[in-house]
Amino acid sequence: MNKIWAVIRREFVEKVRTKWFIIGTVLGPVLMFGLVALPILMADKETHRSVAVLDATATGFGERLADALDRADALATRLVPVDLVELEDAADSLAVAVTAKELDGFLMVTDAVIDDGRAEYRGTNVSSLTDMRTLEVLLRNAVFAERLRREGVDPAVVNRAQIRVGLTTKKIREGKVTEESGEASFFLAYAMWLLLYIAILLYGVQVMGSVVEEKTTRVVEVLVSSLKPFQLLSGKILGVGAVGLLQLGIWVGFAKISLDKREVIARMFGGGEEVAALASISMPEVPLATIALFFSYFLLGFFLYAGMFAAVAAMVNSEAEARQAQTPVVMLLVIPTVLMIGILNNPDGAMAIALSLIPFTSPIAMPVRWAAAPVPLIEVFGSLAILTVTLVGIMWVAGRIFRVGILMYGKKPGVRELIRWVRG
Amino acid sequence: MSNEPVVELRAVTKHFSGHTAVRDLSLTVPRGSVYGLLGPNGAGKSTAIRMIMGILLPDEGSIALFGGRGSGQDLSARIGYLPEERGLYKKMKLIEMLMFLAEIRGVNRRVAKQKGTIWLEKLGLSDWTEKKVDDLSKGMQQKVQFIATVLHGPELLILDEPFSGLDPVNSQVMKDTVVELARAGTTVLFSTHIMEQAEKLCDAVCIIARGATVVNGALADVKREHGGNHIIVSVERGTASVDHVFKDRALVRHADDYGNYAEVEMADGVDPQQLLHGLLGAGARLTKFEVAEPTLHKIFIDKVGPEAAKAAVVEGGK
Repeated sequence: MNKIWAVIRREFVEKVRTKWFIIGTVLGPVLMFGLVALPILMADKETHRSVAVLDATATGFGERLADALDRADALATRLVPVDLVELEDAADSLAVAVTAKELDGFLMVTDAVIDDGRAEYRGTNVSSLTDMRTLEVLLRNAVFAERLRREGVDPAVVNRAQIRVGLTTKKIREGKVTEESGEASFFLAYAMWLLLYIAILLYGVQVMGSVVEEKTTRVVEVLVSSLKPFQLLSGKILGVGAVGLLQLGIWVGFAKISLDKREVIARMFGGGEEVAALASISMPEVPLATIALFFSYFLLGFFLYAGMFAAVAAMVNSEAEARQAQTPVVMLLVIPTVLMIGILNNPDGAMAIALSLIPFTSPIAMPVRWAAAPVPLIEVFGSLAILTVTLVGIMWVAGRIFRVGILMYGKKPGVRELIRWVRG
Repeated sequence: MSNEPVVELRAVTKHFSGHTAVRDLSLTVPRGSVYGLLGPNGAGKSTAIRMIMGILLPDEGSIALFGGRGSGQDLSARIGYLPEERGLYKKMKLIEMLMFLAEIRGVNRRVAKQKGTIWLEKLGLSDWTEKKVDDLSKGMQQKVQFIATVLHGPELLILDEPFSGLDPVNSQVMKDTVVELARAGTTVLFSTHIMEQAEKLCDAVCIIARGATVVNGALADVKREHGGNHIIVSVERGTASVDHVFKDRALVRHADDYGNYAEVEMADGVDPQQLLHGLLGAGARLTKFEVAEPTLHKIFIDKVGPEAAKAAVVEGGK
């Protein structure tokens, strides 16, 4: 046991001292801090756009559209009436104004827009999704109103028909309505996926690198003369796992603090206005059960993948070979990522349930599902049980491959040879 | 201290896919001895040593360490093993790496640090204690590997080709340290294909070739068994003039002729004086005529065969 402890300590101390650990640990919270602080700062500096309506209509629609745009908070609008035949020439001269930064862009409308719904916007801000959506919504409403007006509908009725509809989403968890919105659930599921995927991959690869290092430097020969291969393997995985827990612990702890204390953080950036702005942003609730689930799946998932990565490392002779040979293992880990949108769209669907039970995908799929929607506890425990049993099996196989592989140099073993190692 | 052999192999056999690396190997390393495991490259020396260390398991036969059944890993506190393929953690600080390697052999960290510091000082590396292994020259790394082998004060040292790849200075340091430890009572088992070295250091040897034992026993006994009829002859202006004497099978069984010098094995029952007469009769002006013990090298060549021996010499000369 003291020997395993020595291996754990070495892995832990050496990994924690590396630059990437320190940088990663600091950078994680900075990013999370940014995630909370950025919307506040952004809200403060709302951008104002200056656009022109190049009006080639004869019905006064251009004027009404320009009024509607001008009423929008972030838009300063000016009307440029023009004859239909001179439309392109006028557009060219406005383009000069855009280049001179007098304008952000201009909207070209003709009477045809009422019938075919087509208008054109030219400007420097076309890649801003927010700007384009604002313009499109305003244009659509104006065209909609114009069409109704032409059909002789009372303008008052048109106005009433255009009152904005807003949908507030609140999540039900354990029979209680929470203040968590749909967006917040998505945010939490997304954060879970990102952290688990990065952490399992990152630390799994760390285990692999550590085994490859010992093999290529031939330190392993001295190690296995003093340690049973399984002592070496388990010490290594536990050591790297401890590093992972420490780093994730710092990240998650920081995330929880910055979510819980977000108003305090907001005050650091300014006065009441920002705090109010922040209160309106819905943030996910992260109860302890969720955190416990997250760490359980991280640990089991990490052990599972670390075992596989270690077996891969034991089969190869160099870092470069390891990078190639790891592909099948990484693919397994990528599956839940590729299918994540499917899980989020239908967290109770057959695919989501299957992925959260299959041991190779459950370490990521189950926490994502859990964050998105309530999951029956029986499924959670079932998934954990399947994962644990698989883990034991994989560790047994990985241990046998590791035992033989770390002392083998030369050709990479084929499947048949691997089976012989495992039977060994 | 008991008189039980420190290492005992009984009829050990190890197959790898396609070939037999060690066949029916038996050897006994007495306590306090310096034991040489000799053989050409590919003879199975490293495989035998790895089985002794418990890194590989024998297919047949049994291995006893210190008279018991414990494996090399269980007994690692009592054994210092220097593998043929040696490595170090490149990015660790020297003293921390030594502490770790001692720790997995059951030494307490604090004690390991003290002993490590003493050894680093002894081999002239005390300025490098806090440096990374990567910063050390190759010669220094070899010293560090050796320190890692002996730091925990083992009763048994197992050194696989300890002198290969060492520069002459380090080779000397290594030899001196091994002799010093042996005098202090440490049992040393080492493998080599350089016979001259084994001849100077060992008091018992086992020569193996193609996985099987060829010669086994105390060095003096081995020499006596193979000795008594060896003559070293040196002739002015070369031995070509006495070539016909060497070819006389009534006198000479085999002559190993180097041109100016020859090692001659006489035919059974021939008195050295008869050979002397023969040489003088051929008109040779002798500069040397010595009744000699055979060198280990000679025994090795006689027993293992010229081809294998040549391969060993070529490898050794690299």
